[in-house]
Amino acid sequence: MDALGIEWSLLLAQIVNFLLLIVLLRMFLYKPVLNMLNARKERIAQSMKDAERVSAAAREAEQEKAKVLEQARREAQEIRAQATRDAEKIAQDVRGRAEQEATEIRMKAQADAAKQVELALADANKQIADLAIMATEKLLGRELANKAEQQRFVAEFLAESGSKGK
Amino acid sequence: MGKKIVDFLWGTKQRKIWTSVIVGLFAASILINFIAPVPPPHVALSGEPIFSTGPKWFTNSVLTTIIVDIILLLLALATRFSLKEVPGGLQNFMEAIIEALYGLAESVAGKNAGKFFPWVVTIFLFVIISNWSGLIPGVGSIGFYHPYPAEEKHGEDSHAYLSDNQLAMAGGSIILAAPESVQAAPAAAVSEKGKFIPLFRAPSADLNMTFALAISTMVMVQIWGVRHLGGSYFRKFFNFSGPNGFMKGINGFVGILELISEFSRVLAFGFRLFGNIFAGEIILFTMTFLIAFLLPVPFYVLEVFVGFVQALVFMMLALVFFQMSTISHGSHDEHH
Repeated sequence: MDALGIEWSLLLAQIVNFLLLIVLLRMFLYKPVLNMLNARKERIAQSMKDAERVSAAAREAEQEKAKVLEQARREAQEIRAQATRDAEKIAQDVRGRAEQEATEIRMKAQADAAKQVELALADANKQIADLAIMATEKLLGRELANKAEQQRFVAEFLAESGSKGK
Repeated sequence: MGKKIVDFLWGTKQRKIWTSVIVGLFAASILINFIAPVPPPHVALSGEPIFSTGPKWFTNSVLTTIIVDIILLLLALATRFSLKEVPGGLQNFMEAIIEALYGLAESVAGKNAGKFFPWVVTIFLFVIISNWSGLIPGVGSIGFYHPYPAEEKHGEDSHAYLSDNQLAMAGGSIILAAPESVQAAPAAAVSEKGKFIPLFRAPSADLNMTFALAISTMVMVQIWGVRHLGGSYFRKFFNFSGPNGFMKGINGFVGILELISEFSRVLAFGFRLFGNIFAGEIILFTMTFLIAFLLPVPFYVLEVFVGFVQALVFMMLALVFFQMSTISHGSHDEHH
């Protein structure tokens, strides 16, 4: 032992030194560094998971958007079709009413015209009768005795011819 | 690109420069041997007290051990107090080392890695820094000349002083200066100035340090064995079970072998590290003594490598022994 330079005191000192080194390095080096490594590993894993989740959410949102757009387009088309149909219906209504009104106006105008003609004819008949009576009086030189009777007679006659002439 | 580099390093002009540098260095080596001869190295097997009058325990290897401790602790503290989530230079370096070693420990010890880790990584760091500390220029070559004690200087029993195991270099050959051969060994290690004592000495070139690690490791092996297996751990050593008397005898004998192997591991641990590092130092001394320049360079590279490998070997073996002690005897394969 002595020849090899082994001395118990030195050996013991080296053992103590080694144990002390273990304790100190464990406290100052291994634990903090390993903790840091673990913390970083966890953080990276966490952030990768987060990124995954975010991208999944983005994908979902994209799909949602597409779906919403599609629905909106379909709805718009429906609304347009409905509007077209409504407009056609309204146009038809308007046209129908206009035609009806036109017909009414025409019929009224016709009726008016007929009335006018009738009135004119009646007026003319009356004047003709008067003229006829006047002419007859002039021709006879006297007044017909029964003027009213005469007038009725001419009117009858005219009506008859009028209705015949029609 | 490659041709450019070759031209830059080994062009016609550079070739001449290199050649003349090499030849010049060799010539200088030889000249130096005439002008100022390199003193033949004296190699002591053990650490020596630095101060001839100072305490006997304060050897050069103790001093270097303290310096290695300080280096390790400074590294640890510098890392500890600059620890950031986003690592910088030193932190990157230390994290890489610790992560690699932890991976290694995990691959061997599995779930026990956390428990064994501080031990084996401290072994690795302490041993590798100790090994490399011996390679720093000045370690082993800076020192004091101790005057011989007056009564031993001329006395016939000068071997009493030299008996402390020295390897002496005499005429280019190493002689173990055993007490009997002191007269035969010319005063190679004994210059007229006194006995040369280096100021520093690699701790791993001191058996006290290597055996301290070896003993601590093997004691921890027993402690972990008991902690994991309880009293049944010792059945490995004292096993007299068996179906018949013959098997009982065999098992008992195997137990004795196991017991011996535990002690032999201490010796193997201690001498393996010491032998490698001490031999490396002798090689470097010898090469420097023979040709001062250039020749030692490849050996320096080799010693850097050996220092790393020995640290790794010590660590791996410790790890394997730790792990083996936790496995119960039934599924336990003998490891050699």
